[in-house]
Amino acid sequence: MQFNTIYTRSLAVSALILGLNACKSTSEPEPSQPYDTGVFVINRGNFFDNNGSISLINATTKALSFDIFQIENVNSLAGGVSDYAEVDGKGIILVDNATAGKDAIEIVNARTFKSVAKIPSSDLENPRYVVKAGTNKAYVTCWDAFNTDYSYKPGYVLVIDLTTNKVTKKIAVQKGANKLLVIGNEAIVATTTYSEATTISIIDTQTDAIKQTVEIGYEPQLIGSDANGKVWFYADGKFVKFNLSSKVVESRIAFASASSIKSAGSFTFNKEKTAILFAYSYADAADNYKQKGETYSFGINDSSISTTKPVINKVFSGLSTDPNTGNIYGGFSPSLKQAGYVFRYQANGTLIDSLKAGIGPEGFLFK
Amino acid sequence: MSFVVYSVRYRILFSLLGLVLPVFGYAQEIANKQIDEVKVTGFATEHFMAGLKVQKIDSATLARFQFQTLADFLQFQSPIAFKSYGSGQLTSISFRGTSAMHTAVLWNGLNINSPMAGQTDFSTVPVLGFDEMSIQYGSAASCVGTDAVGGSILLSSVPKWKQKGTNFTIGGQYGSFDNYNGQMGLRFVKVSKSGLQFSGKTLLYGSQFNNHFNATERTDNKGITYPIEPSETAQKGFIQDLYLKKKNGNMLSLNIWLTDNKLAIQPDVIVFREITQSKAYRVLSAYQFGNTNVKAGFVKDILDYGTGDFLTPSHSETDRYIARAEHEFSIKKKDSFQQTSLRIGGEFVHYVAKVDGYGGGSITESRQDIFALLRQQFTQKLTASLNLRQAFSTRYVAPFTPSFGLEYAIISNEKTQIKLTGNIAKSYRLPTLNERYWKVLGNLNIQPESGLNKEIGANWKQVISTNLNASLGVNVYHNLIDNWTYWNPDKGYRVENLQQVLSQGFEIMGSVKYLKDKTLAGVSATYAYTDATQQKVYDVYAVDIIGKQLIYVPLHTLTGTAYIGKGDWSLNIQGLYNSERFITFDHSGRPFPSYFIVNSTVSGKIHFGKIQSNLIFQVNNLTDTVYPSVRKNAMPGRSFSMGLVFSGNVFKQ
Repeated sequence: MQFNTIYTRSLAVSALILGLNACKSTSEPEPSQPYDTGVFVINRGNFFDNNGSISLINATTKALSFDIFQIENVNSLAGGVSDYAEVDGKGIILVDNATAGKDAIEIVNARTFKSVAKIPSSDLENPRYVVKAGTNKAYVTCWDAFNTDYSYKPGYVLVIDLTTNKVTKKIAVQKGANKLLVIGNEAIVATTTYSEATTISIIDTQTDAIKQTVEIGYEPQLIGSDANGKVWFYADGKFVKFNLSSKVVESRIAFASASSIKSAGSFTFNKEKTAILFAYSYADAADNYKQKGETYSFGINDSSISTTKPVINKVFSGLSTDPNTGNIYGGFSPSLKQAGYVFRYQANGTLIDSLKAGIGPEGFLFK
Repeated sequence: MSFVVYSVRYRILFSLLGLVLPVFGYAQEIANKQIDEVKVTGFATEHFMAGLKVQKIDSATLARFQFQTLADFLQFQSPIAFKSYGSGQLTSISFRGTSAMHTAVLWNGLNINSPMAGQTDFSTVPVLGFDEMSIQYGSAASCVGTDAVGGSILLSSVPKWKQKGTNFTIGGQYGSFDNYNGQMGLRFVKVSKSGLQFSGKTLLYGSQFNNHFNATERTDNKGITYPIEPSETAQKGFIQDLYLKKKNGNMLSLNIWLTDNKLAIQPDVIVFREITQSKAYRVLSAYQFGNTNVKAGFVKDILDYGTGDFLTPSHSETDRYIARAEHEFSIKKKDSFQQTSLRIGGEFVHYVAKVDGYGGGSITESRQDIFALLRQQFTQKLTASLNLRQAFSTRYVAPFTPSFGLEYAIISNEKTQIKLTGNIAKSYRLPTLNERYWKVLGNLNIQPESGLNKEIGANWKQVISTNLNASLGVNVYHNLIDNWTYWNPDKGYRVENLQQVLSQGFEIMGSVKYLKDKTLAGVSATYAYTDATQQKVYDVYAVDIIGKQLIYVPLHTLTGTAYIGKGDWSLNIQGLYNSERFITFDHSGRPFPSYFIVNSTVSGKIHFGKIQSNLIFQVNNLTDTVYPSVRKNAMPGRSFSMGLVFSGNVFKQ
C-alpha cells in the first residue's frame, strides 16, 4: 500500500493543530469567534444572478449580518447557495452557479467563516444538500447535469473527507437526489419534486455504499425524523411514516379533505418533534394567479390531516424550527430581485417579528 | 446549474438587428411662384424631430470600427448603458435609464426589435450591417412608433450614387482568444444612356469568437474574483441592397439582410452545453414616386434554445408582414425662410407567431399606426414641429401620442451658433408577444405602457480659428413612464402593468476639433447623469424599492474619444467609465463596482496600385480592467486584434 504524500502530510498537520488546540484548551479558554452562535440564513439567491449568500441573525439582539462569506473573504460566493451545514468545526457551503459546470463547494472555518478550501467544479454538478455523515465526513447530494429535456439523471452522493477537504467517493443514487438525513450509521437520501423517482436510498455511512433502496411512493420528499425516531416523507400527496429499523412504511396519512389545486411543501417539525408544519399553497387562476395558501400543522399520531385551521396565515418558501426556543422561522421572498424577509413566530403561530435577509431566504441553521 | 427549472424552461430570449432610411427634405426654389410645393428627396424621420437630440455617426467612424458589434461600438460613442451577459452574449440596451424594451431599433424605417421579447440583442448587430446611423435621445414615439421611449437607434442602408463603377472589399481580422472576423462584398453603380441609375451592394460577413481565455477566473485589484464562463459565438450575415432611380428622382429599392447567430455556453462539454441560435430574415422593398413613399417588408425571426446535443431545441418563429405608405407636402415661401413640411402616413403590421412557449399553434395579431408629422420653419432662427400618432390593435387601446418641439437659434453667425431646443412628447410601448401569449405567465389583458418625456437643451458651436472649432451641448430631461410591465413574483411571475418609472437626468457633450492640411486631431466627451427610479407602491414590499436607482443603470457615465491623424494614418483612443451599478431593486447586496475601460485603434491606408488596403490594429481593454457581466462572470481582459481590408475599383465604367 502506498500512502498519498499530500494526504499523509495534511494528516500530520492536522494532528499538530489538534495537538496545539488541545494544549491551548487545557490552559486557557478559547476566545469567542464571530460565528459561534446565531441563526444562519441560507439565501438561495436569484438563480441567473449568481448571488446566493449566508446571512446571520442574532436571535436575541436581532442584529443582522449580510453575506458573511463576503465580509470575511472579500469574494462573494460565485453562485446561488443550495445548502449550508457544519461538520466538526467546518462550514460547508454548496454553491450552485447558473452556468452548468461551474458549481463548487466552499469550505470555511465554521467559527470565523474564513475560507479553508474549495472543492472544484470538476467534482460535482448541481449540489443540493449537505449533512454530517461521521467524524470529519460530509455527504452531499447532487442532481448531476440535466438531460436535454430537463428531466433528471440519476444523482449521486459525494463523500467528502474534511481532513483533506477532498471528495473521496461518489455514490450513485436515484434521480433527483435531494434532502438527506443521517441516523446512526444510515443515511437516507430522498428526492425532489419533478424527479419522477419513487424510491429512497439508504447508505451505510461506515462503508459509504448503498445498503438498500426502498419504495416510498411518487417523488418522496424528506421531512425528517420525529420524537419516536420514525422518518417522515411527503410522497404522492400523502405524509408517509417510515420505520427505519424495519425499513417498512408504517402509515400513509392523507388530508381529511384534499385540495385538488393546493400542494404541500416547506416541511419542518416542531421543537418536540411531535408535529409537522407545512405550507399548503396554490396559484389562484381566478385571482390573476396570486399565490395563496397557509401554513398548517398536524400531530405525528394523527390519522388524517385537517386543514381547517392554519397555524400561520401565510406561506413560506422555507420553514424551520429553532431547536432552542421552538420559534418558527419562515423565509419569504417578495421577489428574487430584492432582499427577502425572515418571519419569526412563536410555536403557536403568534408573529414575533420580521427581519431582513439576503435574496431568497429558504434554509436555516441554528447554532 | 439547477434550481427553478421552470425559469430555465421559460427563459425568455431574444433576436436581432436593424437600420433606417434617412431623409433630408430639402427645398428647391422655383422662380416666378410665390409658393411652391417642393420635392422631398428621402424619408428620414429625423427631419421632424425638432427639439430632440440626434447624434449622427459618420461613415468614417463606422469604417474604423467595422469589425465591432453595435454593443461595443455604442458604449464608447454615447452615454448609453448596456447590460451584458458576457463577451459575444446577450447585450441589451438601457437608454436614459429605461429598459431594453424602451429603445426602438429601426432598420430602414422598420422596427426590428424582436416581437417576442420586444428588444434587440446588440451583440448580434455588427457595425458592418448598415451604412449610416443616428442615435436619437428621448421619446420620439410620434415619429418612430412603439418602443421609442428612452430613445431610438436609426440604422440605414444608403446608395452611393457618386461612386463610379464597381468596388470590391475583402478583409479579415484575427485577434486574441482565437477570435476571427471576415467580410467580402461588392458595391456598384451603373448609369444607362437614358439616365436610369442602378446601384447596389452585396456583402457577406462572418465571425467566430472562440474566447479561449486560458483562465478560469479573473481577480480585480481589490481581490474580488469573478469566474470566466466558457462561451463561443459564431455570427454570419448577408446583405443585398439594390436601388433603381429614374431621372425624375423616382426610386425603387430592395434591402435584404439575413443574419444567423449562434452562441454556445460551455461549448466543449456536451452535457453542460447551452445553445442559443437566432436567425433573422429581413426584406424590405420601397418605391418613392414624387413625394409619396410606399414600403412593403417581411421579417422572420427564428430563435432556438436548447442544451446538450441541441437536437430538440425549444423553437420560436415569428413572421412580420409590414406595409407602409407616406406622403409629404412641402411648401416654401419665396424669398423667405418659411417652409412647411407635412407628412401623413400609415403602417400596417401583421404578426404570425409560432412559439413553443405559447403552447403550440400559431398566434396572429395585427397592429396599425397612423401619423401626421408637421414641421414649420418660421424664420431663419425658429423651427417647430408638431407630430401626432395613433396606434391601433383589436386587443387594447394604444395611447394617442402627440409631440411638440421647438428650436430657436439665439446666435447664428459664421463663428458662433447657439441654439436652444425643447420637446415634449408622449410615448408608448405596445406589449410584446411574450407578455401577451406566454403560457400561463403571459397576460392577454396587458396594456401598453405610456410615457411623457419633457426635455430642454442648449447647443453651442464655436469656430475658434480657421483650424479649430469646438462644440458644447447640454440636454436635461424628465421622462415618466406609466403602466411599466413587471413579471410579478406574487402572481407566480405573471406579467402585469404594475410599475411607474421616473427617469430624469442630463447629458453634456463637448468636442474640440483641429484640422490643418492633412492633420486632424480632436477630443470629444460625453457625461450623463441618469436618475431612474420606480415610483409606485403596488404591494407592501414595494416600499423597499421606491425611489431607488433601477438595477444595472449607472448614475454616472462618462465616455470620451481622443484622436490624431495625419494623412492616411490615425490613432484613436476611447474611454468609458460607468459608476457602480445596483443588481437588486432594494440595493441590498454588493453592487457591481464602478469601472473604467480604454480601447485604442490605429488605422491606416496603404495603396498597392489601384488596390487600397485598410489596416486596423486594435487593443481593447488596454488597462486589463476586471469587471463583471450581469451573471457576475468576468468580462474579457486586454485583447489585441489586427484587421486588414482590401478594396478597389474593379470594373470602371
